[in-house]
Amino acid sequence: MNNPIIKVSQLTKSYGRHKVLNNISFEINTGETVALIGQNGAGKTTLFSLLCGYIKADSGSMQLLGQQPGSQALFGNVSALPQDAQLDPAFSIGEQLCFYGQLQGLTARAARAETERVLALVDLGSHYHTKAGALSHGMRKRACMAQAFIGSPALILLDEPTAGLDPANALHIRELISDLSQHTSFLISSHNIFELERLCNKVLYLQDGQLQQHHAQPNESTAHLSLQLAAGPGNAVVDSEEVCQQLRQLAGVKEVTAGRNHEYQLSYQSQVVDDFDIRLLQCLAANGWQYKQLSKGKSLEQQLFARKKMAAV
Amino acid sequence: MPMIMLLRQIRLFSQVELSRLWLTRRGLMTLAATAVVWFFLLRYAIAPASEILQEPNFQKSLTAAFGMLGLHQLLNWPAPELTLYWMLSLILLPFLSLVFTANQLSSDAARGTLRFISLRSSRTAIVLGRFCGQLIVQLCLILLSLTATLAISAVRQGGISWQAIEAALLISCHLLIVLMPFTALMTVFSAWARSSRLALSLAIVSLGVAFGLLSWLIYHQPDTAFLLEYMPGAQIWQLIPAQGWQSLQLAALPLAQTAVFLLIAQQILSRRAL
Repeated sequence: MNNPIIKVSQLTKSYGRHKVLNNISFEINTGETVALIGQNGAGKTTLFSLLCGYIKADSGSMQLLGQQPGSQALFGNVSALPQDAQLDPAFSIGEQLCFYGQLQGLTARAARAETERVLALVDLGSHYHTKAGALSHGMRKRACMAQAFIGSPALILLDEPTAGLDPANALHIRELISDLSQHTSFLISSHNIFELERLCNKVLYLQDGQLQQHHAQPNESTAHLSLQLAAGPGNAVVDSEEVCQQLRQLAGVKEVTAGRNHEYQLSYQSQVVDDFDIRLLQCLAANGWQYKQLSKGKSLEQQLFARKKMAAV
Repeated sequence: MPMIMLLRQIRLFSQVELSRLWLTRRGLMTLAATAVVWFFLLRYAIAPASEILQEPNFQKSLTAAFGMLGLHQLLNWPAPELTLYWMLSLILLPFLSLVFTANQLSSDAARGTLRFISLRSSRTAIVLGRFCGQLIVQLCLILLSLTATLAISAVRQGGISWQAIEAALLISCHLLIVLMPFTALMTVFSAWARSSRLALSLAIVSLGVAFGLLSWLIYHQPDTAFLLEYMPGAQIWQLIPAQGWQSLQLAALPLAQTAVFLLIAQQILSRRAL
């Protein structure tokens, strides 16, 4: 499995005097679904553009499937959903995707069949003859995503795949990526941390042009739980100070912090108690507190941004 | 890139441009505009002027006045309508070509569509494909207008000769070659500019500045007058009195200019951030 599908080494890119990417290096292995996270202007889209061969790097090297970005050997093997790119409004989406399939080397008939397949994947099967200009924003986004699936490429780069989609379609796209990730490697850029947390098993965090690599499944002796209590009509009044006090009395607890909206983060020694979650539920029941959500581990958001906050302090 | 793959992609790009002409609203508007322009030219210029061209007195006057320049050769076309079509097209079509082919790459680049395409095709194939597509589109428009011209001639003469058809084919070949450097010039500017309007403006300004600078240079250094012969369309004045298939020997210069422009366009697009 340790076969790098993307290998980036000491990559640097500047716009004028502003260094957007500063000497970054990373590898993505075959079969991995990788999240690319960073604030606005952190360089995510620049990194995507470099990997797709849309722009040239100032220095450093990149290889996708062992080839330079933009190399002809990658046609059909690497595809992308670039941010803000649009299909030609003068032609139907079916015609355009069919054309793309033929450019990849498919016959006209195979391209037509492939187009129908990928349009069905994004729930646009009935819009083969609809012009791109006549589609809603969300439908255009899904049509653009469909082009990335033509020919079942080995690597797909998705820049903000669910931005602008309604919740139902965003969920559909997430499920689709999850299904396809069994056979395809993905690099996904998004501001939706929860989406990335569900889909990805590796995180690349871009900050100030530097890259921090983070594995979403850390192997630590300290375990974490995220708890959200139910509040409002029909539920007991919750005093966060009291909740923290009660939770700190549980065996093995190292730290309890209260957040907004009745959220609590618990750190505990997993070696000391192996049934910590059951004890926690018993504690909640004993105090008459209903829980809304309980999840193991820190959320990706907390892992990435709590650390940043601590560093800032 | 294997040559077969390159040729296949050029064919695919050309097919898309043909579809754009015949199957999209914008293409049909282009066809309609061309039809209107040629209707007025045929109805109010070519048809009445054809009658005048046939008058023996006019022919004698033309030979006497322009015999030295070889313009009397114009009377040798098998139909007077073709003579007038030939003269009008040689002067009009290069300008129309700049307008019609200004949007080869710039809109797709601005919209981001080229990002989808460049993941599946080399930038060389994109440049050559769009150029060939535009040439085929222009060939369609030339053939349509020539057919209309032949129809007018057939109505007037009560029939059509094989010589007229052969002359029409020769005219279409010549016009296509004349338009090649202008189309390739627009490939250059559309690869560089962010919109078709800017590409057209840049092309017109560049041609004007180039002619202006050359004129200034020739005024001060008369020995450099030969440089004018290398400007796009320079062979048009030699073509006007030309006759027969041997006149295709004048194609060398526009073909060379086309190759140079396409090379420049390919280099610009290869370096351009998409």
